[in-house]
Amino acid sequence: MAYQLLKYALGGEYKEPRFFRDCQTPKKSYDAVIIGGGGHGLAAAYYLAKDHGITNVAVLEKGYIGGGNTGRNTTIVRSNYLTPDGVNFYDASVKLFEGLSTELDINLFYSNRGHFTLAHSESAMRTMRWRAEVNKHVGVKSRVVGTDEIAKACPQMDLSCSGKSPIQGALYHEPGSIARHDAVAWGYARGADSMGVEIFQNTEVQGIDIKDGKVQGVHTSRGYILTGKVLSAVAGFTPRICKMVDLKTPIVIHPLQACVSEPMKPWLDTILVSGSLHVYVSQSSRGELVMGSSLDPYEFHSTRSTFDFVEGLTSHIVDMFPFLSNVKIVRQWAGMADITPDFAPIMGMTPIKGFYLDAGWGTWGFKATPISGKTMAHTLANDKAHDLIHSFRLSRFEEYELTGEKGAASVGH
Amino acid sequence: MKLLKCPINGTRPLSEFIFGGEWRDMPNPDTSSDLEWASYVHYRDNAPGIKKEWWYHSPSGTWFIAERNTLTDEVLATYLYSNPPATNVEEQSA
Amino acid sequence: MSMRLPKQVGEWINRNKKIRFSFEGQEYTGYEGDTITSALLAAGVKVLGRSFKYHRPRGVLSLANHDINALVTDGVDTNIRADVTTLTDGMQLKAVNTDGGVIKDKRKYIDSISPLLPVGFYYKAFHKPARLFPFWEKVIRKAAGLGIVNFNYPRINKRKLNDFCDVLVIGAGPSGLSAALSAASNGLKVILVDENQHLGGSLTYDFAGEVASRKTLIDLVEKVSASLNIKVYTGAYAAGYYQDHMVPVVRADGITKVRAKAVIAATGAFEQPPVFHNNDLPGVMLGSAAQRMMYRYGVKPFNKGVIVTANAYGYRVALDLLQAGVNVSALVDMRAEDKQDAHALELANKGIQIYKGYCVYEALPSKGKLGVVGALVCPYDPLTATADVKKAVKLECDGIAMSAGWAPAGALLYQSGMGVVYNNNIQQFVPNRLPKGVFAAGRVNGVFDLEARVNDGLRAVAEVVNFLGGAVKALSVETHKGPSPSHPYPFVHHPKGKNFVDFDEDIQIKDFINAAKEGFDNIELMKRFTTVGMGPSQGKHSNMNAIRILAKIRNFPVEKIGSTTARPFFHPTPMGHLGGRSFHAHRLTAIHAWHQAAGAAFVDVGAWSRPAYYQKAGLSKEETVQQESLAVRLSVGMIDSSTLGKVEVCGPDAAEFLERFYTGIYADQKVARSRYVMLLDELGVMVDDGIATRLSQDKFFVTISTANAPMVYREMQRCLQVWKLNVTLINVTSAYGVINVAGPKAYQVLRKVVSIDLSEDALPVGRSAEAKISGVPVRIVRAAFVAKQAYEVYMPTGYALSIWKLLLESGKNEGIRPFGTDTQRLLRLELGHPLPGIDTDGLTNPFEMRADQALEMGKPFFIGKRSLEIISKKPLNKVLVPFVLAADYKGEMPQDCNLVIESGVIKGRVTSIGFSPSVGCVVGLAYVAPHQAELGSVFEIRTDNGKTAKATVVQAPFFNAE
Repeated sequence: MAYQLLKYALGGEYKEPRFFRDCQTPKKSYDAVIIGGGGHGLAAAYYLAKDHGITNVAVLEKGYIGGGNTGRNTTIVRSNYLTPDGVNFYDASVKLFEGLSTELDINLFYSNRGHFTLAHSESAMRTMRWRAEVNKHVGVKSRVVGTDEIAKACPQMDLSCSGKSPIQGALYHEPGSIARHDAVAWGYARGADSMGVEIFQNTEVQGIDIKDGKVQGVHTSRGYILTGKVLSAVAGFTPRICKMVDLKTPIVIHPLQACVSEPMKPWLDTILVSGSLHVYVSQSSRGELVMGSSLDPYEFHSTRSTFDFVEGLTSHIVDMFPFLSNVKIVRQWAGMADITPDFAPIMGMTPIKGFYLDAGWGTWGFKATPISGKTMAHTLANDKAHDLIHSFRLSRFEEYELTGEKGAASVGH
Repeated sequence: MKLLKCPINGTRPLSEFIFGGEWRDMPNPDTSSDLEWASYVHYRDNAPGIKKEWWYHSPSGTWFIAERNTLTDEVLATYLYSNPPATNVEEQSA
Repeated sequence: MSMRLPKQVGEWINRNKKIRFSFEGQEYTGYEGDTITSALLAAGVKVLGRSFKYHRPRGVLSLANHDINALVTDGVDTNIRADVTTLTDGMQLKAVNTDGGVIKDKRKYIDSISPLLPVGFYYKAFHKPARLFPFWEKVIRKAAGLGIVNFNYPRINKRKLNDFCDVLVIGAGPSGLSAALSAASNGLKVILVDENQHLGGSLTYDFAGEVASRKTLIDLVEKVSASLNIKVYTGAYAAGYYQDHMVPVVRADGITKVRAKAVIAATGAFEQPPVFHNNDLPGVMLGSAAQRMMYRYGVKPFNKGVIVTANAYGYRVALDLLQAGVNVSALVDMRAEDKQDAHALELANKGIQIYKGYCVYEALPSKGKLGVVGALVCPYDPLTATADVKKAVKLECDGIAMSAGWAPAGALLYQSGMGVVYNNNIQQFVPNRLPKGVFAAGRVNGVFDLEARVNDGLRAVAEVVNFLGGAVKALSVETHKGPSPSHPYPFVHHPKGKNFVDFDEDIQIKDFINAAKEGFDNIELMKRFTTVGMGPSQGKHSNMNAIRILAKIRNFPVEKIGSTTARPFFHPTPMGHLGGRSFHAHRLTAIHAWHQAAGAAFVDVGAWSRPAYYQKAGLSKEETVQQESLAVRLSVGMIDSSTLGKVEVCGPDAAEFLERFYTGIYADQKVARSRYVMLLDELGVMVDDGIATRLSQDKFFVTISTANAPMVYREMQRCLQVWKLNVTLINVTSAYGVINVAGPKAYQVLRKVVSIDLSEDALPVGRSAEAKISGVPVRIVRAAFVAKQAYEVYMPTGYALSIWKLLLESGKNEGIRPFGTDTQRLLRLELGHPLPGIDTDGLTNPFEMRADQALEMGKPFFIGKRSLEIISKKPLNKVLVPFVLAADYKGEMPQDCNLVIESGVIKGRVTSIGFSPSVGCVVGLAYVAPHQAELGSVFEIRTDNGKTAKATVVQAPFFNAE
């Protein structure tokens, strides 16, 4: 038995402390202000305190912590990217994730399930090989597998996809995992709070003061805060924050939707992704199938759900798993994804001194939570971008140095 | 599913349309600096608000402009690029 | 013991038709019209399921699909909702989520160890030491989930329909019926939907012991049925609200997508359980559930009952129970105020003991918690939500009916963007802001009295009429009179807990208190930490109570707590319904059937299905492709290229248009000449290529690669609008079939059937000519992508098949052979022509492809030019080179996308590779570092298994014969 649970049975008052304080009144000034109390912002706060001893930090969250895309994704963690820089970055994230339950002393249910990216055509197989080769080169466990291995891992799947787009093979990524997304935010919040970081929920940023190209302070719904360093980690709200400082980015906001089924006894042990069917699916520790699809087809700054999404997604799920015809979808939801033209994030310094950007997370933000926090904390503390995020700098667009992640996305029809 | 009004074919379901991105005025390539041009091709006016956008009615092959609030998804007007509302008013009064 | 009552007025069952079924191995009989649950209850079965987490025995709570206590499997399907699923003959049912049967469930021990499992326990355990987590995970995954999925369940895709109306009325209770009638009489086209099999809503069960209101029901239903303007969907639930008033209506046979001009939600309210110790025992149920049981299904809920209430409804339920012959032990009213209404007096007159200001402190369980044997009632202090246990009274009973309040069924309204206020008069959230065209009526709008609900339907319709452009007198919402229908805080603390708020997830009061203590003290965080409302019933019976608890904990007014976001679906909806019949849209050429008959292996290219190669018995794919390619190199082959995008660019500015769109020069192009076209995007990235043939001074014929054709044509159309040139674009992709005849003997084959001189002198590469084949007008273009001697023949689509056959016949002696796209790729590679999308990726610019000769940088403008000017100032990172492997290379064959490695660093990758039987070695294209690109330089390719293949940069084309 897990001895940690025994204390609850020993009766008496429930003694669990608050995860984090209920901060109401900000101080006059902070060494750094982090906008956005999602996984990324909280992780940055945590590593600022832990790695760099900077604890005089305020995290400002408009709603409640983890309420944005941290709580709206399909919880997949993987590092099977295409560019060496991308693979290295996400691999560092996977490694942090692996030790995170212990480090934060919260069970994140980090569950290593293996991850198949299904290929339904030869051109898709080419891309899988490309990714596999780059992954192998960098030391990440990914390889191209045939249908036999897919069938072994998921014998229930109809490999012909109801005859519509037969699966030819897959990229198998051994470290692919899922985790309890909310708990990641809560764990970082508790860790940061315990070292002195102040987390303000229901606190909206209304403006950012810039003087001589340098950050001076932040106007909030709880008053003005003096600070020389502001990190924006607000995903779908990035354009709104950037507008406050008149900073141009290529980010476009598209909703990204997901849905969840009724709980059923676990049967799907792996994570499955199909680019051509626009499907990703895994089964949570509660027994629900957690499913997502591609981005909504047009720009929209809201989290409304569409019926088209769920029609399209379920039609493909039933093609893959005909026996799920009468399994029910309980709930659908959406997040606002901040998409970049090259499908890589925008991280690091900006032309405004003291204004740091952690954005462009599109559909791949959750899996980067620990490493983005760590590298952004490093960047803030040293006022110099961390080596791992050099390729993700904002200026790459003006320099026509887009990252190659776009290559994989656009090759193979 | 959302409805959208094609200026030629009337109100149709969104599945018949393709989003063509924000309408942007191209700077003069001969006079703009490298930075101005790079900024034009890469950056977007991406804060929410009322935007002019390209939309394409697929079955009929009609490109048109929609003025849409990207925060509420409300479409205020749709018209052909060659026939913006101001022109309409002039034509009507003429 | 049978609990079936004598025939009830208006009951939904047909007692003339018996239905046989079994549950947990025991045989039972029900009636037609019974649900699974009502038939079981009639047979005296009380334990219908086990709870999700603690495996507690569960019976009926709502009998209305507002909880999931009764989930069963029939061996084929799982998680069947017994409360609302119609009983059918021969059903063999079992409860889900049990280990060894619903009574003997081996996992019932979990209930007794529940103190070990406080709220969020799984976040706090099992992760230390980390190496043990996989073990615990297995244990937890085994306990997760409800039913077991049947992997042999058949694929069922339900039909989908569209329907349209002026007003969609959701809910056919008194407000909905009256709204539908009023709208119809205003000349509006109405669709009325209700999830029950019969119209009437609460008019079918809430009678307070007499059936006078039944007249209202019959009257309304008759008029609705008679109205030609009203279309009625019963057994149909509105699954969600989507933009522009689209509401998917779900029935057993499929989904109807209803598009309305206006929507009236008359969705009513869910009865909410008061929360006390053991309020989940089988036999403890909502008052409305007891009423449904009696009047819809003629089933007695219990033999001797206690009613616990905090509103007028409990008194109505008591009278209904008495009418049905149920012995009412007492009525416990949590309110102390001494306001007696007519029903209270009636009850007192009938000698029923009423405990005012009392609560049920706990329900007393029978052995194994399989039922109720009594209720412990105590004086209640509403301020502290505690019971005065010293004054406890023990009442004997085998059932408890609970009526303490309601929560609006506002999910669809929330989804539409409703704003709410909390109305203290009725202790309920009511709409204060509704989006355009969305209206609320009845209990969801805070209107509770029967007559007022009927009137509220009329009021909503008046608003609809005015919204749709009419002008009728506006009416106002009637203010609620009398005591509140909901208790502001219907909770009773108990040291042993087990006072359940969320029955799906086994969440008790203390779970909320503890969650708040840990800082999860706003409603969204609390929802996520406790999982309240996240079960399959989506908070229908639990969200409101959760909000009330949190308000109390934080000492806030309920309004300040707000509500969690309501998301689709109203009820969980099957994937076979949602997905419907899926379509796999694809396009076939006029020659497709021939290809099929000839054994083609097809590949999807864009929307098209194309032959990749023609399978030959005993030959591998590679061997077949090599044979097909050899036929082209040695003699002649032909390929169906009808899928090519084809656009006619017409008008005085046609050449100008092409010069702006593509990278080359076209103004000086002569008629009947073809030129290469390359399209870039604004970033200077290579997008597509093709050829442009000038048909006349003001007409060009442009080809686009198959997969890119729709997108490139769209961009042409957009550019034309912006550039405002005097040009017309005609997409003739489907109008023309294309057959490419290639190889040294192509001329001989064509010469026999074509009306004009095709000799090298008359029609060299780059030329085109109009001609006839068997009297059919064709256009012949000399393009040399796959072979130097190749003729692209364009003909009207209708003649494509006959010309294909004619050419086959004509080439018989030459051994003409059809080839597919895989062979075409090899042929193109042999000539060194890169293929967009294969040899380029989403970032490749023409400099990297060494395609500078295709760029006319001197032109004033073409798409991508300005970006190329910027890119040209930067050093190249990689370049595309043709390479060969040594003729005697025996190592592992490198594949597409194997990497080019130099000193352990990735320098590029192979984009195309294959053994060319014509060249006699492996040839390919690869991106390499610029310093590796010199002719003759050698670079290293790493194969799949980590071996190294040495490649030598050569000059293209690889194949240069003829």
